[in-house]
Amino acid sequence: MATIETAEQTMQVKLKIWRFDSSTGERALKEYEVEAPEWVTLLDVLDIIKDRVDGSLAYRKSCRMMICGSCGMRMDGAAVLACKTRMYEIVQAGHVPVISAMGNLPIHKDLVVDMEPFWQKFNAMKPWLQPGYEEPPEGKEYRVSQERTKVIEKEALCINCGCCVSECNAMESSPAFLGPQALAKGMRFVGDARDAATVERLEDYSGEHGIWECTRCYFCNERCPKGVDPRDAIAKLGAEAVKQGVDQDMGVKHAKWFIKSTETTGWLRETELVPKTQGVISAISQMKFAMKLARHGKVPIPVPPHVADKVDEARALHKVVHEQGRLGYDGIVQGERALAKLDYHLREEDKTEETEA
Amino acid sequence: MKQVAYYKGCLAALSAKELDTSTQALAPKVGLELIDLESVTCCGAGDIHEAEPDYYLHLNARILAYAEATGSDTLMTICNVCTLNLRQADFMLKGDEALMARVNTNLAAVGVPPYSGAVEVKHFLWIVAEGEGYELLKTSAHKGLKGVKIAPFYGCQILRPSKLLGFEDPDRPWSLERIIEACGGEVVDYPAKIKCCGFPIIQAREETALGELVQPIEQAIERGADAIVTPCPLCHLSLDAWQQKLNAARDKEGLEPLQPMPIFHLSQLIGVAAGIEESELKFKRHVVSMRPVLEKLEV
Repeated sequence: MATIETAEQTMQVKLKIWRFDSSTGERALKEYEVEAPEWVTLLDVLDIIKDRVDGSLAYRKSCRMMICGSCGMRMDGAAVLACKTRMYEIVQAGHVPVISAMGNLPIHKDLVVDMEPFWQKFNAMKPWLQPGYEEPPEGKEYRVSQERTKVIEKEALCINCGCCVSECNAMESSPAFLGPQALAKGMRFVGDARDAATVERLEDYSGEHGIWECTRCYFCNERCPKGVDPRDAIAKLGAEAVKQGVDQDMGVKHAKWFIKSTETTGWLRETELVPKTQGVISAISQMKFAMKLARHGKVPIPVPPHVADKVDEARALHKVVHEQGRLGYDGIVQGERALAKLDYHLREEDKTEETEA
Repeated sequence: MKQVAYYKGCLAALSAKELDTSTQALAPKVGLELIDLESVTCCGAGDIHEAEPDYYLHLNARILAYAEATGSDTLMTICNVCTLNLRQADFMLKGDEALMARVNTNLAAVGVPPYSGAVEVKHFLWIVAEGEGYELLKTSAHKGLKGVKIAPFYGCQILRPSKLLGFEDPDRPWSLERIIEACGGEVVDYPAKIKCCGFPIIQAREETALGELVQPIEQAIERGADAIVTPCPLCHLSLDAWQQKLNAARDKEGLEPLQPMPIFHLSQLIGVAAGIEESELKFKRHVVSMRPVLEKLEV
């Protein structure tokens, strides 16, 4: 017969925390050790430290259940929600994790970042519905089918925690980049059946620091604690921009040259990629650079072209697919169910492994 | 010998021919027989996925179908971007019968053989980092890297998103380190080894890309690396060919140029340790001279 354990099992938890005081600029890595129940999360441990060891420790929290998005921080350099991070296995492994504030945002104190730049970008997306009318037609509510809500099912899960922004490589290099959270929020409205500002939004989001500045590092997908997959949301925006003819950005021209290449030679026509992306004038200014590359065979001569066998199949395939009209974000949405299953299977595999162990 | 369908991708067929020749020369030494895919095209990089994702799916399904037609259960890639694209398309198809049926109907309409889902997409790195491939690599790398200091650079799309790649912990990868050590090199560790090289936006947003590229180069120099090794030809192109642009930008700011950092393709690094001829490794095709590190290796 199963017994029910009533006495609480405890463990010794060690943490190192990067303390920071923005008024003095002082920064110090401090180690803490506390006794805690085996079920604690990182947030619980911080609470215990603040309660029993050092009341001056600063961090944000509210709901403690992965809904409010307040407790984003870094553990060993990777952004996590403190309330979602269980400590048991980390302690068992004898590991002492280093806790620090999220990246890509200024630090106020200890683990508290200034979210102002984050909210500015969020607001720049016009994150409200623009249905294009004052009163609903015929005074009735707008009904959205179940099927249609799938387009933004993932984007709607965002809790604005900033974990994706923390590690965004493009934003680290270019702080003005709108970034994964804001763009995923943008997709949440572009894909909303009730919104009538699609083209205007796509034009807004396609600026210098918009959709096409994403470097596709996929840190955002990796870090998001809610499965939003911001990079996929950005790709949906890109696809929709191309579909809607919002296609003047160099990023789109670059992408279109790939399509042209697969239809003509099958392989990327690398040498022509620069003038096709940046325009001939800009490409000429790059001539010195190109000549140096050419000396090392890095600028393959496009004539005669390197043509893949049966390239006509790819051309025909593009025609068939294009005519079926699954353009824009639909092309990505159609695969999301299968990829979500993958998450599920991975979780199931983990469980099986745990059971076996 | 294990037969694998070999998808070299665009760069290894064009500007990074040295990656193709070194992989071909190395393959038999690590137990691989490469079956060339004649009829395949570019995977579309992140570009077609972002511009016309339905075409991306079909284009990659076509590559998977031709790989399956070889009878091999493995489609071997040598590029991070190809790896993610093909694995993602593969999972989309395997996880959705209706989608698989629609794509196969379209493939059939243009004369492409059907894809049943019998192939797994694996990067060359994964094949030689464990199991039989690794055992053979250890034996082959008899000439050794003589303790030269090698900084591994993974790039992005061989690690993230881990649910699609999943070979190793994306924050604490070990495969390149294991290979460097097996070849007798000394591993140089540095934080930027899992970050982005900037290549996907190097044409459309050069300044942003260079701000990414500079990190692995600077950190590898600071830690005394003799060279960087990467499993991705796009990272290679960025790290190798665009280094001069980093210096041009530094020059404008009145800074000294960075010390030149030689960049190995993974197959070249193992190839050197395995004693493969320079005629196959083609180091002269690199923009940054490989001479300093090759001299240390007495090649």
